[in-house]
Amino acid sequence: MTSSAAVEVKGLRVHRGGRLVLRDVSCTIPQGSVTGLLGPSGCGKTTLMRAVVGVQIVSGGSVSVLGAPAGSPGLRNRIGYATQNPSVYGDLTVAENLRYFCAVLRAPRSDVARVVDEVGLGGHEGQLVSSLSGGELSRTSLAVALLGTPELLVLDEPTVGLDPLLRDELWTLFRTLASRGVTLLVSSHVMDEAARCERLLLMRDGALLADDTPSALLAQTGTGDLEQAFLSLVRESEAA
Amino acid sequence: MGSVKAELLRLWKWPATWVLIGVWLVMTLTFGYVFNYLALNGGTNTRDLSQQQLISAMQPENVGAAVVRGLPMFGGAIILVLAALAVGSGYGWGTWKTTLTAGPRRVSAMAGTLGALGIIVVVLVALTFVVDLGAAVVVATVEGWDWSLPGFDAVEALGASLLIAAMWTGFGVFLGVVTKGPALSVGLGLMWAIVTENLLRGVGSLLGPVESLTKVLPGGSAGNLAGAVGGSGAPGVLNDLSGTTAALFLVGYVVVFVGAATLLKVRRDLV
Ligand SMILES: Nc1ncnc2c1ncn2[C@@H]1O[C@H](COP(=O)(O)OP(=O)(O)O)[C@@H](O)[C@H]1O
Ligand SMILES: [Mg+2]
Repeated sequence: MTSSAAVEVKGLRVHRGGRLVLRDVSCTIPQGSVTGLLGPSGCGKTTLMRAVVGVQIVSGGSVSVLGAPAGSPGLRNRIGYATQNPSVYGDLTVAENLRYFCAVLRAPRSDVARVVDEVGLGGHEGQLVSSLSGGELSRTSLAVALLGTPELLVLDEPTVGLDPLLRDELWTLFRTLASRGVTLLVSSHVMDEAARCERLLLMRDGALLADDTPSALLAQTGTGDLEQAFLSLVRESEAA
Repeated sequence: MGSVKAELLRLWKWPATWVLIGVWLVMTLTFGYVFNYLALNGGTNTRDLSQQQLISAMQPENVGAAVVRGLPMFGGAIILVLAALAVGSGYGWGTWKTTLTAGPRRVSAMAGTLGALGIIVVVLVALTFVVDLGAAVVVATVEGWDWSLPGFDAVEALGASLLIAAMWTGFGVFLGVVTKGPALSVGLGLMWAIVTENLLRGVGSLLGPVESLTKVLPGGSAGNLAGAVGGSGAPGVLNDLSGTTAALFLVGYVVVFVGAATLLKVRRDLV
């Protein structure tokens, strides 16, 4: 494991719609790793990611990203963020969207071909985004996040709606990127993706249940798979 | 500047841009030349326009007036729709999120949109001028008139056209940012440009204070500026204010709309 932390969250509290949706969350995300952020729908994964990329108004605590406070202008071109809902223009083609974001993010034009290849969208470049299938659409969003070779990639449920084969290809891509030193924070509400991560943040109801490696979690809970481990942690926290 | 280039690329590739520009050009040709030509050539002339007025409206030297005439109401509505769509669709598709998290500072993102819209609007006014001039030359040649190219007053009319177009662009951008979406902003904008101001003008004939207000509302100022530079004879064109007064009001509206939209976009937790 590499030493320095890419993201450091301390005592983070966030209110949304008048409700406390993140209560005192603290965690560190090591550089050059794939960290999974897992938990049921509505537990606060997206909110935590928004705080990391610096678009969330926070009520307390601190978030430091690549050595600077989250949201610092200097971080903008070092972070790639793919939102949960695809954020690309439906009335432009895949290639037009990528060229547009290349210009917005000041990434080199040659990135378009690279990211199309990385997310496996070759052959769809000329297709109108609104005519893409769900999986192709989320991969287009992912491709945008990959433009400009960011050091930190925050991907909100990037594999939802993908078939197993594509899912596998994307996780391979995530690991390849991590091996190059990119830090990835990937959320999912599907537990069976947890085993693919080097580190896991398990969340429930706005609080972190665990921040550890998958094997350590299995050992700690004495369970055979991560779904069981999660359930056991939930029971433990409820008993406490 | 990267943001202007990006936004220009997007608007240029965007079918809606060209549909709107196309619709506008067809409209300006139809109302400015086709109908006038037909009326001149044997159509029963119901609008009490004399032959001389029809000929004058279609003369190549009066193309400047022909361009500015259409902008206070219909051209303005189209420009407003374009601007509202350009800004609103970024909220609709959720793309501002990416731009504002990983892209440039919010102010430069906004400047990019405004710059690109500005370029498109200049192109639109220039295209209108060229197309109208082409139509006027064709009509004059076919009819065998003595004609001459537009003179210096065309520059004044084109300047006024650009200012009117800038005001409607700012209005559209403002609505797009305020409503955070394309649908409501377009709806409200059209309502305002085509319906509300006209209704108020109707009320104004009964109530004095409303009448003085309608003169200086966005559409009213645009109509008065068009009227002051010779663009009379079209819906929305007025002759109640001096050109200078109307122009000052328009500049004020541009500043207010663009300023308010930028402030909102920069300050608001929009994502
Ligand atoms: N814009 C919002 N206004 C009010 N509450 C919100 C908003 N967005 C999310 N929430 C609430 O915050 C909580 C966490 O949401 P979110 O972070 O999106 O969860 P997840 O991504 O894990 O599904 C949920 O209870 C959700 O209802
Ligand atoms: Mg979510």
